[in-house]
Amino acid sequence: MSTTGTSTIGGMGHRVKRKEDPRFLRGKGNYVDDIKLPGMLYMDIVRSPYAHANITKIDASKALAIPGVLAVVTGKDLDAAGLAWMPTLMSDKQMVLPVDRVVYQAQEVAAVIATERYIAADAIAQVEVEYDPLPPVIDPFKAMEADAPLVRPDREQKTNHIWHWEAGDAAKTDEAFKQADVVVKQDLYIPRIHVASIETCGCVASFDRVAGKLTVYMTTQAPHAIRTVFSLVTGIPEHKIRIISPDIGGGFGGKVPVYPGYVVACVASLQTGHPVKWIEDRSENLQADSFARDYHISAELAANNDGTMKALRVKTLADHGAFDAAANPSKFPAGLFSVITGSYGLEAAHVAVDGVYTNKPSGGVAYRCSFRVTEAVHTIERMVDTLAQQLKMDPADVRMKNFIPPEAFPYKSATGWEYDSGNYPAALRKAMEKIDYAGLRKEQAEKRAKGELMGIGISTFTEIVGAGPSHTFDILGIKMFDSCEIRVHPTGSVIARIGVQSQGQGHETTFAQIVAEELGLPVENITVEHGDTDTAPYGLGTYASRSTPTAGAATAVAARKIRDKARKIAAHLLEANPDDLEWQDYKFQVKGTPGRSVGMKEIAFAAYTNFPSDVEAGLEAVDYYDPPNMTFPFGAYICVVDIDRGTGQVKIRRFVAVDDCGNIINPMIVDGQIHGGLTMGMAPALLEAITYDENGNMQQGTFMEYLLPTAMETPAWETDKTVTPSPHHPFGAKGVGESATVGAPPAIANAVVDALSHLGVTHVDIPFTPWKIYAILEEHGVAE
Amino acid sequence: MHFTGTQQIKAPVAKVWAFVLDPNKVAECAPGFKTMEILGPDHFKPTLAVGIGAVKATFTLDVQLEDVREPDHAAMRGRGAAAGSAVDMVAAMDLKALAEDVTQMDWTADVNVSGTLASVGARLMEGTAQRLTAKFFDCFRQKIEAPDDATAPSTASVPSSPASESTGAQ
Repeated sequence: MSTTGTSTIGGMGHRVKRKEDPRFLRGKGNYVDDIKLPGMLYMDIVRSPYAHANITKIDASKALAIPGVLAVVTGKDLDAAGLAWMPTLMSDKQMVLPVDRVVYQAQEVAAVIATERYIAADAIAQVEVEYDPLPPVIDPFKAMEADAPLVRPDREQKTNHIWHWEAGDAAKTDEAFKQADVVVKQDLYIPRIHVASIETCGCVASFDRVAGKLTVYMTTQAPHAIRTVFSLVTGIPEHKIRIISPDIGGGFGGKVPVYPGYVVACVASLQTGHPVKWIEDRSENLQADSFARDYHISAELAANNDGTMKALRVKTLADHGAFDAAANPSKFPAGLFSVITGSYGLEAAHVAVDGVYTNKPSGGVAYRCSFRVTEAVHTIERMVDTLAQQLKMDPADVRMKNFIPPEAFPYKSATGWEYDSGNYPAALRKAMEKIDYAGLRKEQAEKRAKGELMGIGISTFTEIVGAGPSHTFDILGIKMFDSCEIRVHPTGSVIARIGVQSQGQGHETTFAQIVAEELGLPVENITVEHGDTDTAPYGLGTYASRSTPTAGAATAVAARKIRDKARKIAAHLLEANPDDLEWQDYKFQVKGTPGRSVGMKEIAFAAYTNFPSDVEAGLEAVDYYDPPNMTFPFGAYICVVDIDRGTGQVKIRRFVAVDDCGNIINPMIVDGQIHGGLTMGMAPALLEAITYDENGNMQQGTFMEYLLPTAMETPAWETDKTVTPSPHHPFGAKGVGESATVGAPPAIANAVVDALSHLGVTHVDIPFTPWKIYAILEEHGVAE
Repeated sequence: MHFTGTQQIKAPVAKVWAFVLDPNKVAECAPGFKTMEILGPDHFKPTLAVGIGAVKATFTLDVQLEDVREPDHAAMRGRGAAAGSAVDMVAAMDLKALAEDVTQMDWTADVNVSGTLASVGARLMEGTAQRLTAKFFDCFRQKIEAPDDATAPSTASVPSSPASESTGAQ
């Protein structure tokens, strides 16, 4: 890509400093909790102590007697307005507030509206709710048994089974298994985890009774989709609803769903005529917001004795909690889990997933991962190592032997995906050289002889991002295109509005760079706006690494539309035929006459002051981009761990990450994404897991129990890259926000198993807590 | 959570029995006891302030005596709620005369704590619950064995600070 442009333009490939940072560094960010409106009321939520219970009585009289308490909203109040239930994005429905039954611990039961935040908090303790506890369904396997209590008796289907989904060719897979020399089998559990954004969820709902308009400042990753859903659910006309997603303190997938608190705050504002603010506290966020992962996977990999992989068969039980409120595209109840064949050429594959209800909060949202890709990548990368261990081969050799060769792209996978581009051997070779793989193996042998536990783990993952093409991808029927609208002002400065929005990714910088590159205007003169549905063009939002593949593409295409018009104006200014002009060095010049040229700044001025008679005034364009395919970023990660035999602690000594996300807009921001992603990938490998006791009480309700990574555990990440552009994306980019989160956990897992493999250990489920590892060391007689 | 215990009390069975059937006396032994509402001979509502870790909650328990078989067996069932939390418990006690003035008390208790208290105090839950339960029954012994005037409610040395109750757990 062009890095020939002057640094004053700051287009593609430049390490432009983030336009967002001055306001964040000066404390001038504007998050939802910073919004204060005149007459604003505060909401707090009464939550269920039981995972499963009938509600026999709600008595709000004591709460209502507290001065400053204006209302207590219950499920019965909402039911009268037809709002006790709301649709989920997955064709299920979920309770906003329960009418007579709670189905998970910490479920919203009632809401208190008060004049002050502290009064609301005091008042929720005075709302007396009587429960009649019911047996909870916690284990997803028991939930599938015929005599299991029903989590959702409201459904026609009187079981806890939600759906069955499969991909690939079962018969062909069975045949390939029959002909294989060796079959390795492994069960894996990918635990339930929580994105734990710095900013919890919340909103300020403000209904203007005079204008009849509802404005909601909201921690959402998808403001337009929310507006449409709100309109359909409440009957308020869509032009009378404005969703504003201001600065957002981390999304990672957890801010895609609609949580009951948003809806109740809107109802409360409609009822009171006042703005109503609701902000979760940390424990509420951890206990009740939607969770990620929770996949019980059983995988089999068939191969020949020389290490050639032939086929993969996977069965999975997906614990979705009490409501199927995941945020996958409609046709993908198990997300993009079928990308599970990874970077490897297989004859056949078959994957089946069953969703099941349990008495837990909703599961199945992302954790910085595009729709179940982490679960898929963990499975295939562990299985490749399992095969290598079984065949006593080096895991790097097995990977090199089975990689889809660079010349085979575009490549049709055994489960039906068409990978756009890739060069897997180059990425792995680069990582192996950078970390001195051969040297590490030698060191490992020496350490093993001395009784020390050192492991080397590889992950050569393929991501699937950029949902997605309209023929396959929609959310509630809305196709997953995305958009950009660009206006060039007379003096050559620009405003670009985009259908995606930022939760910290730096869109205001990178999207300005796309425009700068395409129009040849300096990046500092380009403003990018997003997140306000009254001004931004319709888009599906930011998640699943889709911003650059979709709205980024729309931005380039819209800018090119502007350039097409600019060519006509340039021809007018240069008194030449438009066909005789070429766009070079950010200018239109007459072919073969470098001296006769005009830049976009002059053209913009002419577009308002001196335009040809057959051209409309102004210089603007809109594009709604429907991507022809997904993009497939990839990478090769190598991790070195040391295990302390005295404490069971796993320490990451080195971690080399070679990423390939196609052409790069801003290398500094990509580095930041990868550093953050690696840290967030390390977290579930070493620290994070949500568990429940037998009564359905979530056991990690604070950061004392739910351990986030800190600088103490985080190694100095060593990053590098290869560049394999996407052939179908307008500027060859692929998306990078989630590669590292997806790719890192299996590298660490493979390193830990590698460190213990000579003891006969073939698999350990994440997270590798010292307690878990120490128990394994004791079992094998090597604990100190 | 299931807990059991046994203890010897230097008192005749009849004296022990009279104590445990007196809700006021029993309640004083409950952790963080604050107030008591008596609704009937076998139905009462004590208010208890309990802390686990950094989290404190005030529960009003609804306690029903059950399966009372004088002079040696009684059970109780209690349920209480606090903000976002709930406790459900079933406890039973058997008395046996070891000598004329020595009684053995065998007790069992099943305690379930739900909600926020369980989520934010999970690491401390079992230890705290076990300690508070054991202390509850041990308090019977102390009060029964104490000189008669010391058992009067006005001078009872009941645990009064929920904070100090909980911090000793770990």
